[in-house]
Amino acid sequence: MGLRELIQIAWQGILSNKLRSGLTVLGIVIGIASVITLMGIGEGAKKEAEKQVQSLGVNLIYIRPGAASNASISQGQGTAPTLTYEDAKAVKETCPSVGEVAAQYQSSYQVQHGEYNTSTTVLGTEPAYCEVRNFHPARGRFFTIDDMKEATRVCTIGDTVREDLFPDEQPIGKSILVRGELFQVIGVMEKKGANQMTDMDDQIFIPLTTGYSTLFGLNTVTGQAVKMILAQAKDGEDLQAQFQITNLLRLRHGIKNPDQDDFQIRTQMDIMQTAQSITGVFSLLLGATAGISLLVGGIGIMNIMLVSVSERTREIGIRKAIGAKFADILWQFVFEAVILSVAGGLLGIALGMIGADSIGRFAQWTCIVTPFSIGLAFAVSLGIGLFFGIYPARKAALLDPIVALRTD
Amino acid sequence: MADAQRNVVILDKIDRVYEMGEEPLYALKQLHLEIEDGDYVAIMGTSGSGKSTLMNLIGCLDRPTNGTYILNQNDVFNLGDDELASIRNSTIGFVFQQFNLLPSMTAFENVMLPLVYAGVPKEQRKIRAEFALNQVGLGQRIHHRPNQLSGGQQQRVSIARAIVNKPRILLADEPTGALDSHTAEEILTLFDDLVTQGITVILVTHDGEVANRASRIVRMKDGEIVSDSRIREINRAGV
Repeated sequence: MGLRELIQIAWQGILSNKLRSGLTVLGIVIGIASVITLMGIGEGAKKEAEKQVQSLGVNLIYIRPGAASNASISQGQGTAPTLTYEDAKAVKETCPSVGEVAAQYQSSYQVQHGEYNTSTTVLGTEPAYCEVRNFHPARGRFFTIDDMKEATRVCTIGDTVREDLFPDEQPIGKSILVRGELFQVIGVMEKKGANQMTDMDDQIFIPLTTGYSTLFGLNTVTGQAVKMILAQAKDGEDLQAQFQITNLLRLRHGIKNPDQDDFQIRTQMDIMQTAQSITGVFSLLLGATAGISLLVGGIGIMNIMLVSVSERTREIGIRKAIGAKFADILWQFVFEAVILSVAGGLLGIALGMIGADSIGRFAQWTCIVTPFSIGLAFAVSLGIGLFFGIYPARKAALLDPIVALRTD
Repeated sequence: MADAQRNVVILDKIDRVYEMGEEPLYALKQLHLEIEDGDYVAIMGTSGSGKSTLMNLIGCLDRPTNGTYILNQNDVFNLGDDELASIRNSTIGFVFQQFNLLPSMTAFENVMLPLVYAGVPKEQRKIRAEFALNQVGLGQRIHHRPNQLSGGQQQRVSIARAIVNKPRILLADEPTGALDSHTAEEILTLFDDLVTQGITVILVTHDGEVANRASRIVRMKDGEIVSDSRIREINRAGV
């Protein structure tokens, strides 16, 4: 018997009890819809995390002072002043795979303008900071190389700082006091929001050289210490850049054993991977939750198919008497189950996409339905029909025609 | 046996034993029966006489416990379920007391069903189903469902279904049991026609009047044949 024939027979069976078929489908619809929606939420979280990491800058490599080791007791990363402004300059000049470099040193200070004052982070850095961080002034300007050379007392302030110090006046050209030192505001940064730990808008940017001469002071032993060097790798050369920087710093710091590195390098890729592994677990949990409802739906199909088989015992007997073989009956019921679950799957996919869309619209949460999750949902619904349909179908196909005909 | 070629059914030394608890129950005991091609046989007996069991055996719905069954020159004793299904489909037509039509299908679809399982192409199926329905005198209302048809009409549909695949044997189990006498008469006339066309008709009944329409009457009691009498010559016209 042909495939079309089997599907037709199965379809007739489904139509002969529409209400029951509809209710059976409902279980699968709900299961698949929740898989689609929840996977969409997971995918959205993943994309959101990627976007945040991306917003930190492009192809970034973070170089930090390594953890100081005092008789094998780690004092925490960034505690030893092993990384200097000179290192940053060397990275920029020597490493061919590195584009822009921005060293930074930051500390918290009380900042004041007229009657307003606030506590904020003062970040001394280089003009390349804007480029590597992909973070630019919205008004006015950032400081320049000339400002660096002359160590001018200028600053560009973050948006939060502007709100705190200049609630109702134009800040550019005004002066602010940072720990008693006078700085002129030359620009206001664009709003960037918070990433991971820091509020990017609650910062004041000053030339690194000015910072050393006024606020941060000089470490006499190691020179001008920096808390982080941001290096931007040239496109597609992340690995080379990382390698070059590592070798350069080992050479400069006289390190022969890699275990004794006094600096740490992290690439954006590392951060991305961390973020992805976290969101991956998130997605998995959501998927598992949805999977349970799908399992319940599948058991619903099996349950209904079993009822259907026992209700239709006489029909099976008649079909067998007039020549239906084992496989004919088996496939008839398997196809009924598969058609029900696939129909439920398709409806569920549609409903899930609507659900994902409304979550994106009303809950302000990025919710992305990927072709993969649609394909998966479809395959799973097909599989459920087969898996949960076979047992009842086999039961039907094995019925003794005489017994079946005798049944009312 | 000179007549072997003409015998469409040969049952020899047939036992059908049911295991009911301790004691085996013999529904059929050492039964021997031969039925010639084109014959019209009535099998009579009270309930429990074994006539239903015999009909299930002849119809290949059941297998004997012991003995030989040659149907249409084939030994069917050792065949598997699917092979028996195939034989039922091609060689035997069933007519039941309760019609046994599928309620969700129209009369026309019911008649086509054996051809579906036989693998006949759709266009052919329609032609043959229409032909069979005409043969039983049901040209109209064929696209109605069984519950929209009268008992007589339903039985005509079920006869059409039984003959649509041109079987050698038509097995009818109390075909008039659920019908009024007028309709019953119409159905029995239809059987006469089929016999004329050369189909072997085997009728199971407890009604003497119905049995008298046949050419040969076989009476059963306690799983054995107690009498076997020919009352009319076999119609040879159609053979």
